[in-house]
Amino acid sequence: MQDKEQQLSEIRAKLKELLVSNLNIEGVTPDQIKDDDALFGEGLGLDSLDAVEIVVILQRHFGVEVKDMEKGREIFRSVNTLANYVYETKQGQK
Amino acid sequence: MNIAGMGLVSARGRGVAALEQALEQGWVPPGEVEVKGLASGRLPVYAVSAETLSDKVVLAKARRADRFTRMAVLAASDALQDSGLGASVDKSRLGIIVATALGPHATTFSFLDGILDFGDAAVSPTAFSHSVHNAAASYIAMTLEARGPTLTVTHFHFAFHQALEIARSWLDQGRCDAVLVGTVDELGSVLHHVCGRMTKSAADGRITPFAFSATPETVPGEGRAFFLMTRDPDGAAYGCIKPVGGAVPDGGASLQLLDADGLAKDERAYRAAVIPGMPVAGYAPLFGGLLTGSAFEVAVAALMLKKQRRYACPVRDNPHSISLLSEPLTAPLSAVVCIKLDCSGRAASILLGRSAS
Repeated sequence: MQDKEQQLSEIRAKLKELLVSNLNIEGVTPDQIKDDDALFGEGLGLDSLDAVEIVVILQRHFGVEVKDMEKGREIFRSVNTLANYVYETKQGQK
Repeated sequence: MNIAGMGLVSARGRGVAALEQALEQGWVPPGEVEVKGLASGRLPVYAVSAETLSDKVVLAKARRADRFTRMAVLAASDALQDSGLGASVDKSRLGIIVATALGPHATTFSFLDGILDFGDAAVSPTAFSHSVHNAAASYIAMTLEARGPTLTVTHFHFAFHQALEIARSWLDQGRCDAVLVGTVDELGSVLHHVCGRMTKSAADGRITPFAFSATPETVPGEGRAFFLMTRDPDGAAYGCIKPVGGAVPDGGASLQLLDADGLAKDERAYRAAVIPGMPVAGYAPLFGGLLTGSAFEVAVAALMLKKQRRYACPVRDNPHSISLLSEPLTAPLSAVVCIKLDCSGRAASILLGRSAS
């Protein structure tokens, strides 16, 4: 259980770093993104082009694909949902 | 064709005031970047600082833009603002021409690296869309809400000269009331690598434009210079540009600027290009070696015509004892010619006058 929490925490931290650097989010540091902050709309203000970039980030840095963009709506809701998706998918790959 | 406004981004800062300050201040040592594989491990460069590029207002619609585009947007926006015509220009008749030697090569190579490292299914779509040469022009159009024709001219040596002639044709044909013409070229790891191996680095950080050396030394630079061109006689704040020539004119100017920046393999041909009896100047040591550096020489010439002031050459090594502009001088100045040679010694000249006559 502790191992899962630790892995999720590491994934969340890495995701925050990647979102800030790869999406050129100015004036926001990774530490300022809360785990449950909305990524799109009124949260971080990301848009549909960013969603495609997030797909690429997951593929490049975690080896995880998002094949069904309908599911993406829920997966991309926050850093927490993204981290959970990465963790669950990687568990399924083992 | 009149120059109504200018916008510049260089290692010496942003805007016409920064250009004037650099001209009055003279040469300053370049910065350095680490380059793996070079014997020295370091390369002197004139790079634009991150501080110069931080403008959240102008760049509000350019979050995804790379450095290449950000610099272009800032310089183009500044040129329009500097002209004071921003509100009166019909945006549906405002053209944009971006001239570049290498385009957004840092992003282009980043995109290619993405294919090599992660496969073509995992490359960044943003990197792709920004790797095309017209991306900067598109951002400028979007930021300034310009809806006239938009074009990017890519040429290794004479992109700016060609862009000026296209702007002139657009104005002559009545396609546009005003055209933003500018150059954009950037430094990046690829150019560091190329310059570190293909050019001779100036050990003391000084480009010497009047050495006319067979093995010239350079310090690579980057930057953007944009000009708002118009046919409006009231829009000649910085004078006018006469038709761009393919040869060095034998008269018509009282000062000649040489774009000898050490990037050519051999600069001896500049010695022959010097117009006898006419004072010579060159300002590449301020901004660094740029394939589109002619735009900076034109900006200096335009400022000289506006201010009626000749700025002293920043580096005055003069082994051939030519008639060098070695001291600043405030005196009437009617015309300046800017001369550039390519690697084969082919010349192109841009003649600027105080008035169209």
